[in-house]
Order: sequence, then structure tokens, then C-alpha cells
Amino acid sequence: MTAIQGNLPVFIIIAPLFVGFIFPTIAKKQKLLDTILLGTEALFLVLAVIMAASVLTGESTPYLMGGWSAPWGIQLVADDLAAFFALVVAVVSFPVVLYASGHTLEEEVGGPLRRARFFTLLFLLVGALAGIAFTHDMFNVFVLVEVVTISCCGLVSASRRSKAVFAAFDYLILVTLASVFILAGIGFIYIVTGHLNMEFAHQVLMNNWLVYPHVVWLAFSFLLVGFGLKSALFPLHVWLPDAHGEAPSPASAVLSGLAVKGYIVCLIKFLFVVMGIDLIKAYMINTLLFGLGMVAILAGAVLALNQTQLKRRLAFSTVSQIGYFYLGLGLLNVTGLAGTLFYLASHALTKACLFLCSGVLIEATGKHSIKDLAGVGKKMPITMGIFTVASLSLVGIPLFSGFVGKWNILLGCLQEGSLLLGCGVVTAGSILCGAYMFPIIRIAFFEPAPEQDLHDPGIKKLAALGLLALAIVVLGVFPGPLLELAQRAAETLLAQL
Amino acid sequence: MTLLTKLLNNYPYVAAVILFFLGAVTILTKSNLFKKLIGISILQSGIFLIFIAAGNIRGGIAPLLSESPIHEGLPYINPLPSALILTGIVVSVSVTAFALALVVRLYKIYGTTDAVKISEMISEMSNNDSYTG
Repeated sequence: MTAIQGNLPVFIIIAPLFVGFIFPTIAKKQKLLDTILLGTEALFLVLAVIMAASVLTGESTPYLMGGWSAPWGIQLVADDLAAFFALVVAVVSFPVVLYASGHTLEEEVGGPLRRARFFTLLFLLVGALAGIAFTHDMFNVFVLVEVVTISCCGLVSASRRSKAVFAAFDYLILVTLASVFILAGIGFIYIVTGHLNMEFAHQVLMNNWLVYPHVVWLAFSFLLVGFGLKSALFPLHVWLPDAHGEAPSPASAVLSGLAVKGYIVCLIKFLFVVMGIDLIKAYMINTLLFGLGMVAILAGAVLALNQTQLKRRLAFSTVSQIGYFYLGLGLLNVTGLAGTLFYLASHALTKACLFLCSGVLIEATGKHSIKDLAGVGKKMPITMGIFTVASLSLVGIPLFSGFVGKWNILLGCLQEGSLLLGCGVVTAGSILCGAYMFPIIRIAFFEPAPEQDLHDPGIKKLAALGLLALAIVVLGVFPGPLLELAQRAAETLLAQL
Repeated sequence: MTLLTKLLNNYPYVAAVILFFLGAVTILTKSNLFKKLIGISILQSGIFLIFIAAGNIRGGIAPLLSESPIHEGLPYINPLPSALILTGIVVSVSVTAFALALVVRLYKIYGTTDAVKISEMISEMSNNDSYTG
């Protein structure tokens, strides 16, 4: 038991990575594949919960790969942020895998082999995201980001819809460009500091950033553009609606729910661990992030209002919600940053739930347009009920998890004294979010029901949706442990000297 | 004059910047999907060159223990950037392979490798749920 506990960070990363490659070999054996799939995800979830519990009670420990100590070896650090994000990845990916298991993907993805490959990519994505949570080495970040990127593109192109191929290609070109930018940023930091370990790079950077102010500035510009492009910050969001809208529904759920957040966590590590508060203030990056976040919130919401297709509206809603993260990162106080992290978890759950619901609705009705959903709420009350719960959380109604995150971001804005701009934009974003989410609910519940024979999906899909909805409500009513983890992570990030 | 000497002394970096912009312009201006991929490869080479140049010392030797008198007193070059770029090259090759596979599939569906024509075709048949094998 101690052998497992001592090596927990490694186990969490390699469990999905190793198992993922088994699936194509057992593609024909549906039952076996599903068992391994769900078993691994359950194991992953249990490990992540143990990890989070031990971090909450004890101290965070650096894990040395192969026993080499820090500047020479590669370090995994199981701190509050890492445990927090690993938990989010596990909690969101389990229902998604539960939803996707069985014969569900046949229409959207294809035969047994294609489905098995889909799960390989999904597990690669999950493993790499867990790696991003723990790693403390800049080049590891680049490699893991590449793994996330390629598996995301693979997941988008797994769809049988012909538009998806072009969406995946567009996505691939842009995110590869972003990867190159990130590599360049890491390269310049390495040139200035001589270290790839984040802690050591930070210490050297604090001493000599005044000697090379322009190179440091260049490095972080590259990183900001790279991660901004990957996480679809507003003017760089052009690939997101196509990619997330065309992907198979479970893939959209992980792409919108988790992959984008992985890049935000990377950016948090580069900003707060490598760069540190003083440098962020010296280069005024906080003001920049705050401004970009505000623009993204409003622009994304306005664009979402114009969409007539369900999945595209949800995709543009992600563009808007990404703005909250950037705005929160620009706040630089514990409440705001903790709120941002909590909202990250909340949005992961919420958006995954919404995309899975839209998958159920599209599969049942066979239509993608919002106006074709007229009256489905009467025929499929449970699905639409869960959709409503998730929408309320997305808007930020009290008793749902989104409220806790947005409330803390608001409090953070107040602490910074940004009453008019910060609070105004956060609230306006919520109102606009209501304006594009509530019409869907009104159409579904209060229009005459269609002739079509519709009913709620099977027990497995309902369980997947129910788990996500339950998590949203539980986090909204008792945010306790997760919020505490987020707060402690925020404190450690901001306490950097 | 000093600027010119500086640039001449650091010619790998100048080459890297030229490659970077060459690649970026190719990606942005060419509509042929293959040319876009070539642009990405060129752009990546530019960044790789920055890394390699940063690790190199002119007249340095590989960091291996050597008893030969020729190597005595010579500085070691930093092997880490080269090792990292080896990983980077592997990543870039796999991305290119994946992208080429996508181009093949696009060609099978649309019969062209021109991005502009493909997006025109897509907007023509928008909202039409066509499935391919």
C-alpha cells in the first residue's frame, strides 16, 4: 500500500496512458473493452480522490522521477493545484466514459475498431491532462501539451461527419502553431535561466530578469499567445466552434470541459510559478489578462446569441466562459484566484454535462438546430431537467456550482476595487449567458410537443448525466473541501517569493 | 555598424528568425493544404534552430570524457537543448504524419486540397448532415 501511495502521482498519470493502447487489440470484444474502460476510469477516480484527500490533510511532496534530485532530474509535484486539477479530470472523465461505453458511438464514430481507437485517444488525453497537473518541468509541459493537442485533433476527426475532417485540420494547423510558440517561449526562458525546472527557473529569473528584460518579455509573449490560442481566448477562438461543434458529443464534452482547462492550468503554472507575482506586475500582465478576459466574456456571449445550432451555441458559450478564467487570473488576489480555480472545476462539470445532454437530444431527434427541440422537454423530462440544472449552473444561479465560482470572482474584483468594470462585466456575462441558455429551455418545455416518438435514453446514459448533475448541485450546496483545496492552491501560487 | 557585426556573429539566430517568418507567411498566404504543412515544418525548424544555437559553443566538443590531448582544455557544449530538440523533432514528425492523413481524407471527400475551395463547399452544403465512412 505504501508503495502505491508513495508513487501515487506516477500511477495517476500512467494508468490511463498504458491502458489506452490495449483497446485497439480488443476492439471486437465489446464487453471486455467496456469492463477495462470503466475499471480503469474508476481506478483513476479512486486514485485521484486518495491523492486529493492526502494533499488536503498533509503536506505537498515533490516526487523525483528515478530518484534524481531537482535541477537534474524531472520533478512531479503533488501540490494543491495538482491534486485539484487531477480530481477535476477524474470526476469529469468518468461520466463521459460511462456515457460513451457500449454501442452509443456507433452512429457518430463508426464500427468497433474506430470506437476502440476513439477510446485510446480519450485515454491519452486524460493521462496527459493528469500529467499537466503534476509536472514541474517546462519541457514536460511542452510534451504533454503536444499529447493533449494531437489526441484532441484525433477526437475531432473521429467523427464521421465530413465537416469534422476539415474542422480537425484547421484545428491542427492553429494549435501546432501555438505549440511552436510555446516551445519558443520555453526555449527563451531556458536561454535566460539555464533551467527547465520551474522553481529553479523562477529563482534565476528573479535575479537576472533585469539583465535581459526584452528576452523575458519575448518569452512570456510567446507563451501567452501560445496558450491563448490553445485555450481559445477571444480573438484567437476561431477554431473552437467548428472543432467542438463537429466532434462526437462525448469528445466535445472532454474537449470543452477538460482540454481547454489543461492549457489554463499550464498558463497558471508559467505565470505564477515560473514568473512570479513581481514579474507579472512589472510587465503588467495582470492588466492585460483582465482586459482580454473582459472582452472575451462579452464577445463570446454575443456570438453565442447568434448561433442557431445547439452544439455551436454551447461552443461559443465556452469562448465566453474562458474569459472568466483570464479575468480571474488578472485579479492577483487569493479570493479571485480561488474563485477562478473553482469556476474552472464547475465549468468543466457543467459544460461536459451540457454537451452530453445535447448528444442525447441530437441522437434522439436527429436534428442539430435549437428550434427543432420544440417540446422535447415533455417527452424527455429527465434529460431536459438535467440540461436545465447545468444551464442554471452555467448562468450562476445560487445553489449550483457556477454561482460559488462566479461569486468568488466577483469578490476578488471588489477587493481589487474594480467595481464598475470587473463586477459589471462578470454580471453582464451572466445575464447574456441566461439570454442564450434560457430560450433553449423555454423552447423545449413550453412549446407543443412533436409527433416524433421520443423518450429518455437508457439507464447508463442517464447515470452519466445524473452523476454530473449531482456533482454540480453538491458543489453548489457544499463547496467546502474543493473550495478549500482551491483556496490553498491560490495561496501557494500567490505566496511565491 | 555594431548592429551588423552583432547580427553577423549570431547568424544562427538571424536564420532562425528568417525561417520563422518564412513559415508563418507560408501558412497564412497559401491555400493549398500541403503548402500549409510545409510552412509549419519550416516554422518549427526555425524554433529548433534557436534551441540548438543556444546550446552550441563554437569550437566546443561533445560532453564525453576523452583522454585524447586534442580535446584538452576545450569547452563542452550543452547537450540538453539538442536532446530536447530531438524530442521536438519527433513530435513535429508525428504531427505532420497525422496532418497528412487528414489531407488524404479531405481529398477523398472533397476532391481537392485547396482550403478555400473546401470551405466554400462546406458553406454550400451547410447544415446538411453528410456522413462519410
